[in-house]
Amino acid sequence: MVQDSTRLNGLRAKHGRPPAGPHEPQAAPSTLRQGQPRFRGLEAGHRACQGCGEALAARIVMENAGPDVMVANATGCLEVFTTPWPQSAWRVPWMHSLFENAAAIASGMEAALKARGRNTKVLAFGGDGGTYDIGFQALSGMLERHHDVLYVCYDNEAYMNTGIQRSSSTPHAASTTTSPAGKERMGKRHLKKDLLSIIAAHHIPYAASASVAYPADLARKVRYAMGIEGPTFLVVHSPCPLGWRHASALTVEVARRAVECGLFPLVELERGALTNIMPIRTPRPVVDYLELQGRFAHLFDETDTRAIEERDHLQALADHNILTYGLAGTGDDPVDTTGIAHVRRGGPLAERT
Amino acid sequence: MTEMRLLDGSEAIVEAALLAGARFFAGYPMAPATELLEHMAAKLPRVDGVCINADSELQAVNMALGAAQVGARAATGSCGQGLALMQEAIAEAALNETPLVIFNIARNQQDYFQATRGGGWGDYRTVTFAPKDLHEAVEHTHLAFHVADKYRVPVIFMADNLIARTQMGTALPVPELETLPPKDWALDGTMGGTGASRWIWTFGGGKANRPGVGPDGYWRQIADKFDRIAKAEARHEQGFCDDAECVVVAFGSGGKFVEHVVRELRAEGHKIGFFRPVTLWPFPSEALEAATENASNILVFELNAGQMIDDVRLAVEGRDRIKPIGGISFDDSGLNIGPLMDARVIRTRILDQLAGKPLTELPYTGMGAYL
Repeated sequence: MVQDSTRLNGLRAKHGRPPAGPHEPQAAPSTLRQGQPRFRGLEAGHRACQGCGEALAARIVMENAGPDVMVANATGCLEVFTTPWPQSAWRVPWMHSLFENAAAIASGMEAALKARGRNTKVLAFGGDGGTYDIGFQALSGMLERHHDVLYVCYDNEAYMNTGIQRSSSTPHAASTTTSPAGKERMGKRHLKKDLLSIIAAHHIPYAASASVAYPADLARKVRYAMGIEGPTFLVVHSPCPLGWRHASALTVEVARRAVECGLFPLVELERGALTNIMPIRTPRPVVDYLELQGRFAHLFDETDTRAIEERDHLQALADHNILTYGLAGTGDDPVDTTGIAHVRRGGPLAERT
Repeated sequence: MTEMRLLDGSEAIVEAALLAGARFFAGYPMAPATELLEHMAAKLPRVDGVCINADSELQAVNMALGAAQVGARAATGSCGQGLALMQEAIAEAALNETPLVIFNIARNQQDYFQATRGGGWGDYRTVTFAPKDLHEAVEHTHLAFHVADKYRVPVIFMADNLIARTQMGTALPVPELETLPPKDWALDGTMGGTGASRWIWTFGGGKANRPGVGPDGYWRQIADKFDRIAKAEARHEQGFCDDAECVVVAFGSGGKFVEHVVRELRAEGHKIGFFRPVTLWPFPSEALEAATENASNILVFELNAGQMIDDVRLAVEGRDRIKPIGGISFDDSGLNIGPLMDARVIRTRILDQLAGKPLTELPYTGMGAYL
């Protein structure tokens, strides 16, 4: 991405940071907006936290879905950080209703638009709380009635908007405020709900999982779904630095490790059948993923035998995913999880590659 | 009596609930009720209780309903928006006689109708406690569980974010309440054919050998029960009403602000009193009528477009005496109580009314004023 180094240097001076290093471009376009896609849909300047995976994912989705779209947005972080009164980061028609209703609202919008002869695509956005839990019934109905809606679930694996309560998407053994790790329990006792399989069981034209760590893959999936008339579904793994308790700079790294260890498989299903996967060339141990996050810190207490058991349990879950979806790469796959390694990175983990 | 501790309202309510014997809580997070759920999640397992973070308010209230019907002291909670989803289950609980406590940690005072009128089906009412501060919240938590068990009814406990998030020192006193009979109506696994099996349904009980009164008779019994509660359980607090020419009516934390202002005005020589319904249903109509007998002005302070004022009008003669001095008042987030809940503002509004002047609108000082 081309950046405006003059402005960046100005910001650095203002906030007392050193000027740009030699690896950063010195000559650049005159504004930040130049060199970026013409349609953004979700504008910059909203109030997401630093390193918010959901904000990044939503921007990529909107860039690739727009501009002829309408959005039905469930309650959640996405709603709250994009639209604090009296501001909005949305450049498209946008509607919010309560938690459980995004899919139902989108169904109504789509049916009425169709009756009025309009082709505007309806998008429905929800977090994992609004999708896996409270909005699940409405979502199932929307898929079954075959509404022409792209539903995107930004999965940050807990109710982050209300302050980190467990959802049915929270992974096993993660600590949240309502599944706290301590003497009694090792975080959440239950497994993460396999939502994608349930969605696929509706035999809809297209359902896929994506991750903010693989933006090109996410963009391709959004564009593919937009080309289909009928219900389509995307679940995007979106790390939450606040809730997962990792450094804000590591959002993409955390998301990538989730994919590389097999805990969050990137797969595509059409009419219920598995049609594509992102192969993992060299699976990482799950510990690499867990160690970056405070919500799994209790799993690294070596004096606690339960911690080792739970780590093994999570490793077994990842191995199960690799086996079930056939994620093990052969090394000559055209695209695999190592593709990202060709992009130069900065930050604390740059030396790893 | 335990030692004094500095607690916020949410934690104090949870501690009081545990002391009252609550062993089951199912909730769904929503500001400002989230902390209640979080404290329950942390504290209930320590007393061998169960806290479930439900996947929606619908599941939360129905889980609590199920837990109560097998004999546990059960509760659920959310804020007003969450209680909107719970209405069906609250009606079910009233009609199938489930003792259930529903905590509404409201964002403001706009849930008065929701609590006292309800949005479910059938002839039912919900006993509603509205504490004025943390100390009363602790007491009301005990009372809510007690009244729920005593009459086998759902009870709404309506606090607000001021109470939930204000810290106060409390020793968590346990009020002395009468001993209640064992819950021999609860489902206990007794099989059919034993003569002791039971079933629970909103259309009433009864079997082939003991058909009972049927749905019509059953719902009459329920209605009679609510009449009994209306007579026995109305609670209120009042001050300086005997010779008051003006009585200010307010509930919840608004009542506490009004009490403060009225004490000030009394000290300055105004003949003014305050009246606070402690239970919103049953509304203390008779007490209010008696307290306002000699008053030429009855001012109603509530942070909504006018909800409790209906009950005040039903309770007292002479409608022209009743005037609203409250109004809708939120901060810019839309989640918190706004600038109207301020002793100085309430004082100005009372004095304006007494002088026959129109209510002064508050100047808007939120973020929008600077845009």
